[in-house]
Amino acid sequence: MSNHGHGGKPGPTALASDTSARERAGAIPVPMLARLLSPEFRPFLIFIVALGGLTLVDGGEGRILSSVTAFSTLQYFSTFGLVALGLGLTMVIGEFDLSVSGVFGLGGCVAVLYGNESIWLGIACALGVGIAFGMAQGFIVTRFGIGSVPVTLGGLLTANGLAYVVTQNRTVSFDNIDLALLLNESIATFFSIRSLVAIAFFVISIFVFFSTRIGRDLTATGSNRRAALVSGVGVGRIIVCSFAFSATMSALGGALLSFSLASASPAGLADVLVPAIIASILGGISLAGGMGNPLGLAAGVVTLSLLRSGLNALAAPPYANDVASALILFAVAIADAPYLLRRFTAATAWLHRN
Amino acid sequence: MLEVEHLAKSFGPIKALRDVSLSLAAGHVRAVCGENGAGKSTLMRLLMGVSRPDAGSIKLDGKSVSIGNPQEAQRLGIALVAQELSLAPDLSILDNIWLGNRTVPLFHRRKEFRRRAAAALALLGVDFGLDTRVSRLTMGQRQIVEIARLLVREARVLILDEPTATLSDVEIERMMAVLRTLRAQGKGILYVTHRLSEVFKICDSVTVLRNGADVGSATIDQIDRERLIALMLGRSFSDMYPAVVATGTADQGLEITDLEVSGHVQAFSLFAPRGRITCIAGQVGAGASAVTRAIAGLVPGATGTVVLDGRPLPLGSLGQRVRRNVTFISEDRATEGIFDRNVLENLVASRVQDHARCGLISWLSLRRFANRLCGEVAIDAQRLGAQAFDLSGGNQQKLLFARALGGQTPGVILINEPTRGVDVGARAEIYRLLREFCERGYVLLMTSSDLEEVVGISDVVVTLYRGKIVSTYQHSRIDMAHILADITHPIGAKAA
Amino acid sequence: MVGVSSSAARTLWLRLKAPSRLLVVRVAIMLALAALALATPSFLSAPSLTTLLTTISFVGCLAIAMTFVTIGGNVMSFALGATAAVSAMVFVVVLNTAGYASGVAAALVAGAVITGLQGCLIGFLRANPIIVSIAASVLIYGVAQRVTSNETVHVSETLIQSLLKGKLFGAPIEFIVFLGLTAFGQAVLSFTTFGRNLFYIGSGFRAAEAVGLPTVRTTILAYVWAGLFAGVTGVLLASRYNQANMEFALRYDYDAIAAVLVGGIAIQGGSGSMLRTFAGVAAVSTIQIVLLLHGFREEWRLFITGLIVLAVVVLYSKRQRQ
Repeated sequence: MSNHGHGGKPGPTALASDTSARERAGAIPVPMLARLLSPEFRPFLIFIVALGGLTLVDGGEGRILSSVTAFSTLQYFSTFGLVALGLGLTMVIGEFDLSVSGVFGLGGCVAVLYGNESIWLGIACALGVGIAFGMAQGFIVTRFGIGSVPVTLGGLLTANGLAYVVTQNRTVSFDNIDLALLLNESIATFFSIRSLVAIAFFVISIFVFFSTRIGRDLTATGSNRRAALVSGVGVGRIIVCSFAFSATMSALGGALLSFSLASASPAGLADVLVPAIIASILGGISLAGGMGNPLGLAAGVVTLSLLRSGLNALAAPPYANDVASALILFAVAIADAPYLLRRFTAATAWLHRN
Repeated sequence: MLEVEHLAKSFGPIKALRDVSLSLAAGHVRAVCGENGAGKSTLMRLLMGVSRPDAGSIKLDGKSVSIGNPQEAQRLGIALVAQELSLAPDLSILDNIWLGNRTVPLFHRRKEFRRRAAAALALLGVDFGLDTRVSRLTMGQRQIVEIARLLVREARVLILDEPTATLSDVEIERMMAVLRTLRAQGKGILYVTHRLSEVFKICDSVTVLRNGADVGSATIDQIDRERLIALMLGRSFSDMYPAVVATGTADQGLEITDLEVSGHVQAFSLFAPRGRITCIAGQVGAGASAVTRAIAGLVPGATGTVVLDGRPLPLGSLGQRVRRNVTFISEDRATEGIFDRNVLENLVASRVQDHARCGLISWLSLRRFANRLCGEVAIDAQRLGAQAFDLSGGNQQKLLFARALGGQTPGVILINEPTRGVDVGARAEIYRLLREFCERGYVLLMTSSDLEEVVGISDVVVTLYRGKIVSTYQHSRIDMAHILADITHPIGAKAA
Repeated sequence: MVGVSSSAARTLWLRLKAPSRLLVVRVAIMLALAALALATPSFLSAPSLTTLLTTISFVGCLAIAMTFVTIGGNVMSFALGATAAVSAMVFVVVLNTAGYASGVAAALVAGAVITGLQGCLIGFLRANPIIVSIAASVLIYGVAQRVTSNETVHVSETLIQSLLKGKLFGAPIEFIVFLGLTAFGQAVLSFTTFGRNLFYIGSGFRAAEAVGLPTVRTTILAYVWAGLFAGVTGVLLASRYNQANMEFALRYDYDAIAAVLVGGIAIQGGSGSMLRTFAGVAAVSTIQIVLLLHGFREEWRLFITGLIVLAVVVLYSKRQRQ
């Protein structure tokens, strides 16, 4: 388990890390259990625990391990999955895109407004808005060296306001009901057009991250930005593109959701920021940057979606989802807390003495 | 290969470099020595293209070059291993070696790159697993990875900035071996340091900078240690250390028994008397700084007994530490010493509650207190409102010392590397301050890896090697040769 | 002669150091805003001013609460709005059964406990403050849904007149409370050891540990204060609307942190003041009212406010570059 503080990293001289000289660094044995609990595998472990827990509660009635639940899981996946992908990416490089829910809503509104003429025009406009927004935010962060939280907060308020402006403060409806139904129609039992689009983007992202140097450069930017810059990585370009990607994914996600619900509202149809953050953290992405990848992130999104649809299938009351998500998030926050170990040892030592 | 002629650079009114010339041949290691502020960093910035010179020229292979930015420097084959390494801890060694390299294509997982990275590491005499995360390496190992990265970039001129500052002795030996390999390969190396033993161990020649100009260059056989020091300082160093005045109360003090910090220090026992400067001498990584940090309560999991003036001081209890007036001054001022606030607030940081009733502060009282502190440590009281980070290194250090004043009884000062980042002129002031605290009856427990300082200022020296005490030296028997021997390769423990 | 005076002004400008320059810019902006406001027809007329003052008081009190979190280096809390809503409901329920004083006390305690518990996690374990506050807000809404089933609680008829309403010295009571909280909060920051320690741990956490400052206690206290002030916000809201439900203070957190940023407080902590927060709240609200009075429809006001927050962040944050 890596030891991140509030955005700071313990360096090699920190007393907590291992500084004894070793010649062959590759020969450090890592026990299997520690491997499993490490941030790389944790998203999958959490998924298995969630699935197991739900199945247990199910008590053999087959509500969880069913095609209906699988389908609705993937539907939830497609609702906020793209947003999580974008937000997660900004977190990997050490930034944070607070504006995703605003751009999500804006993308939906723009898509429906222009989609009534032609769907592709609607999608193109939504994508265009996303790219423009993202690049603007990325540019401000890079050019002026300002932290991403204040900038994207301004972006959130602006995007939200813009959504109200373009819709003139009313809910707009999408006339193409056939498309709306088509988007959510089940394909091969488990999938729908919406979920396939989301899955496709994840697959592409996973491929790009692991087999091209983009993944390495992204991680480097978040892990030690100064080092990446000095080494020749185009850090400015990476930041701008990450924010552009994040906003584009959010806008696309919003467009697809609005199409499928046949309406768009400037007040937003779904809160996507919180699920996206939870999914990113569950997916092994650290707020401090430099850790995480799209594969783990996918696991995190699936876990959260499974939780939601599983609790629905178990006919749990609506608040159960909130409570479960919150508890998982608390658990992860505590597990990753830098002072957990030392407080725990101090507490056990104190108990020992008394 | 590389020739620097009459380089000059000013930043506003400050003349950082006035007239520096030096030359570097292929297969040659030249030391660049000088105190802080002599111009070493500026010279490196010019060579790396971070800044442009105001006058003078830089020639490579006889041709004049203009280095506009770091990328150009990279292309010309000039590379820097700075004190802050440019490695991404969350990436593997392989990825770090190729990070930012222009020749790497988009699809970067090719066998060829693995092979070349492994070859570079082999050349440097190490055998690391290419997929190991850099965060799991020690400082010395990371430096090797950084050098490997420069090698695959076909660097011809390597500038090393204080490369051994944070290395253990084993790692220093390996660094020397690496440098010999690089020299045999025909690389030119500029070795920027003020560790004179290394200068004589590995370098072929030395250039001394002082006040922005080069005041002398010589090959190693033409110069000796005393002359080198004299060139660097412009005076002999013995002026710096104030005369020792033996004071009383040497039977009370800080008693440490069986202090243990796993991985750093074992079975450490020591008595540091009041009114004396006790120094734990050891190389970086020997565990000296762990002792002071443990007593300061900053090391969770430290065990052992500490007794101050007969009353126990529990490890890890920050509240007790404050009440017993135990002050800790870290070697890393920027993150563990100075707050990003003004001088006044920094001065009074540890004593605010003493000037408050029922939690309410009296600013008048605080200001008077701060003024008094300024007087005691010779900081200009006019600067109370200035940002603390704008002070010079020496003044910042004095500020940290001032925090030890104001307690009811003279307390304990635990300090690591008292003159790190402090230039020559201010060092004498710091040493004087240390003596003054002694005279007031404080316990002074310091650690230092600067042997001249250890010998010059201490009353008692305890040598540490790999976490274990080697010997203890009382004042009259403090001898640099013995201490050096102890901390580098001791032959059994002795008591002096 | 114009030439001479402009060059004299230029020399004066160049002589000023960066922080003083920033101050000049800020004062100029505030003056420009004030001028714009006064130049707007009907700005000073009683109804619009009253509306302005009432509206900004709720977000303002929450922004004051948020400031404790931000100065201490914990960026922001996403849970203060939810806490205010819970406090409002607690206030109404206890008011109906045990009277006004108990109601207020209960609301304050609720706010302090909810936020204080988060402070314990953050202070003692150093868990990530943003994540903890997000988790807390989700938990609060979830639990509240279970407990209240989304119903609204109403103040019983007979007690409505015991609520603080109306005006005091010509300004709505909510605004007076906001002013009071600002002054009180500023006093806490400037004159208590807790306040000093908060600035210390915000501007250099590891240095604070090295000095031996009570970091755990200070962090928890910061969150307790934030919770108390969020509780006051809840009481104000309930008093205004004679009822309470979990829809109150929805998204107030965003407006609160926006006000803190517009006021020029560094997001990384270690500096700032309640006066800055007040200025930020005043600036944002003034702009919104001016836009309203100039005939801009609501949707444009939200949009322009967002742009202004962005612009201010760019302007003010320049000096905070690493």
